[in-house]
Amino acid sequence: MSIKKILLAEDDLDDQVLFRSFLEHRRDIDILPIAENGVVVFDILEKIDGEEYLPDIIILDQNMPKRSGLQTLQLLKKTNRYNDIPVFVYSTYMDDKLKAECMANGALAVITKPVTKDGYNGLIDGFLKDAL
Amino acid sequence: MASNTTHIAPQADLLKEIEELRYQLQEANDTVEAIRTGQIDALIVAQGDGHQIYTLKSADHSYRVFIEKMSEGAVTLNSQGDIQYCNSSFASMIDRPLANVMGEPFIHFVTEGSKNYFKELVQEGWNNDCKGEIWLHRGDQGRVPVQLSLTALDLENGMSLSIIITDLTVQKATQKQLKDNNRELEASNNDLQQFASVASHDLQEPLRKIQVFSNLIREKQAELTPDLNTYLGKIIDSSARMRALIIDILTYSRLSAKNITRQPVDLYELVNELRCDLEIVIQEKNATITIDPLPVIPANKGQIRQLFQNIISNALKFSKPGLPPRIDISCKYLSEKSFDSAEATGGPFCVIRIKDNGIGFDKKYASNIFALFERLNTKDAYSGTGIGLAIAKKIVDKHNGLITATGKEGDGAEFMIILPVR
Repeated sequence: MSIKKILLAEDDLDDQVLFRSFLEHRRDIDILPIAENGVVVFDILEKIDGEEYLPDIIILDQNMPKRSGLQTLQLLKKTNRYNDIPVFVYSTYMDDKLKAECMANGALAVITKPVTKDGYNGLIDGFLKDAL
Repeated sequence: MASNTTHIAPQADLLKEIEELRYQLQEANDTVEAIRTGQIDALIVAQGDGHQIYTLKSADHSYRVFIEKMSEGAVTLNSQGDIQYCNSSFASMIDRPLANVMGEPFIHFVTEGSKNYFKELVQEGWNNDCKGEIWLHRGDQGRVPVQLSLTALDLENGMSLSIIITDLTVQKATQKQLKDNNRELEASNNDLQQFASVASHDLQEPLRKIQVFSNLIREKQAELTPDLNTYLGKIIDSSARMRALIIDILTYSRLSAKNITRQPVDLYELVNELRCDLEIVIQEKNATITIDPLPVIPANKGQIRQLFQNIISNALKFSKPGLPPRIDISCKYLSEKSFDSAEATGGPFCVIRIKDNGIGFDKKYASNIFALFERLNTKDAYSGTGIGLAIAKKIVDKHNGLITATGKEGDGAEFMIILPVR
């Protein structure tokens, strides 16, 4: 089993910490430096030299300054180098409209942010399964 | 100059003459008024060569009174467009003395912007009866919106164009008021929806943090005293409840916003699906749900599903302790949208009854239970946000239906929903 590289875009500091602390024990994933918004996602990706070092999964928070999750998703899917990377969107709140828009733009799943450690792990399990 | 040669009468004579003239003028005015208002039909005037009698055709009389008394303005125009006759309502409508109106071209009283349209109307009016709205000058400054009804009449002294003028000031003001009120209502409605949506979204962020960090503390339960554990449990329960409230408020406010799209929905299938979704609670409570054949109706599937889910969950929730819940769902067709309507096979409406054997409610609360945040039971005994039935009612309203509930304290409740079948 290969270790999956995960790139998270998340502006909320608490949520950045929670994401790491709930998931760092896992041996099947490697959490790349966290992007604090959708613009930084591209900064990070562009600095990656060599396709094998690109993330296997990108998780986008919807509500971010400068570039929202949906906008970042649209840009990723328009960029040849990144458009094959599975993208997931997660958010504190989720309405049907946003969900439909994200799915239409190529998100593999659109999920409400969990509130427990188990929730986070279940989320990652699901993402890993979907991304295969 | 002439005035220099005029004999100057003593002042008393002059005053007497003035008094006499004033009296004559008064009499003349009275006569004119009497003719105008139809008080007299004939007039005898003393002239140098004897008395002259002026009579009016008696048939004219009632019409004269009628036209003079009516609140609409009435004028007749000759072929040049000059006013031959005019009632006093018209004169007061445009705030001018009657004498200054008679003989004037009507178009003098029409505002600049209305002149072209007025000309068109007159042209049309000579051939066909027609109507149109224009503006007239009122007094020296103002203007007044009016409706003109034009008819060509063949009168004794040739063709003339009669125009009935209706003052639209009040009507226009009412229309404007209505429009303004509507706009204000719409704006405040939008604001409210925006507020509900933003507030609910933004409330969820910090709330989620409370949930996350309370859960983190719970993982260290062993380090907490029993008291602290109880308090923590209350924080977790309350934040879960608050989250449910926010989600329900969001649902409710979204229902107000949207115009719904309809598609054929098989209610029988939908209620069966719901029964599967509620399987866990149904088994837990050992509940029985019976479903009669239900129609396919034009509806918004998501909303109708929510409607039935809220009512069936309600019935399951408010079950009597120790008694397995039993929910019977039945349907009849009605000829009209009323709970008193006669049953009519193939009728345009259906009434769906959802009857349970739960704790029921005092029937004096029957109309309250659909209000927002109305709770008849303490939240300690029965969880819930108090929005579920308000959402149900809103959905029924959006589908042009009716919903009501009957019940007896401690003896089951029955919800009745009327929905259009076509």
